[in-house]
Amino acid sequence: MASTSLEPLVDQTISVITNDGRNIVGVLKGFDQATNLILDESHERVYSTKVGVEPIVLGLYIIRGDNIAVVGELDEELDASLDLTSLRAHPLKPVQH
Amino acid sequence: MLFFSYFKELVGKEVTVELKNDLAIRGTLHSVDQYLNIKLENTRVVDQVKYPHMLSVKNCFIRGSVVRYVQLPPDGVDIEILHDATRREARGD
Amino acid sequence: MLPLSLLKTAQGHPMLVELKNGETYNGHLVNCDTWMNIHLREVICTSKDGDRFWRMPECYIRGNTIKYLRVPDEVIDKVQEETVRRSDRKPPIGTRGRGRGRGDEGRGGGRAGGRGGYDDGYARGGGGRGPRGGKSTGRGGGRGRG
Repeated sequence: MASTSLEPLVDQTISVITNDGRNIVGVLKGFDQATNLILDESHERVYSTKVGVEPIVLGLYIIRGDNIAVVGELDEELDASLDLTSLRAHPLKPVQH
Repeated sequence: MLFFSYFKELVGKEVTVELKNDLAIRGTLHSVDQYLNIKLENTRVVDQVKYPHMLSVKNCFIRGSVVRYVQLPPDGVDIEILHDATRREARGD
Repeated sequence: MLPLSLLKTAQGHPMLVELKNGETYNGHLVNCDTWMNIHLREVICTSKDGDRFWRMPECYIRGNTIKYLRVPDEVIDKVQEETVRRSDRKPPIGTRGRGRGRGDEGRGGGRAGGRGGYDDGYARGGGGRGPRGGKSTGRGGGRGRG
């Protein structure tokens, strides 16, 4: 069976959704069994209904695995075609166990 | 192990994974591991208007711990085999 | 590159730690362990709402309360230096393979023809748990994307 490892995503831009509802985009530099991640050159995308998506520079981050919900492979072409400044939405809800 | 084995049988099929933050993601099941982490391909979020947060994501890894439900394709369910496998697991063989 | 190697390399550097309860801790990393427990010095703690602050000379944080850590950008380059240096010191063949091996052998047994179309030891324990990739040298290829 194909592997569920994050290995193929290393050095690629990924979009992470955390359990507290944040969306962080950055380059995956490493990971481990617990899904702890190293994200380089990362920024948060803050969603709101009032204004478009606001990027906030974060830099080098280690995100703890138990705070991670989704790791998405960012399709850079698709992403460039989005007009984030006009995208409005509620922030995601936090994960409730 | 039963669920791990069961999900492995579903690889290649379309599933909808509902997360514990109410986000529901549909896609082709690419793989699953022993933590029931899931990889989906060709994903789309079920309510893209309410949740545009993953518009530029087509393949994703979902951490098993945040999955609330997996909606299965009808042809991925064989009651007979599931019964049998469940009994075998309960017996511990 | 492993997250915990990066963290170890960040010893002596300033960092910001956010806990699951929303508090943040700014301080210099003294030490950390494999559970991500960390020891900080010269710490400023900020409340969740961001309007109360406490200074403390040092503190310990239990790993499982951490949400994320923000590390200075330059630390990632130092990890790479260290992995290179470590591979320079690779022991000659013959002395290797002592201690705790990577355990690549003897893994993933237990599949012996199931029944009814499930070929996979369905519900019989076994089921191959694959070795999960953990790259030790962050660099280089083998990413295998077409």
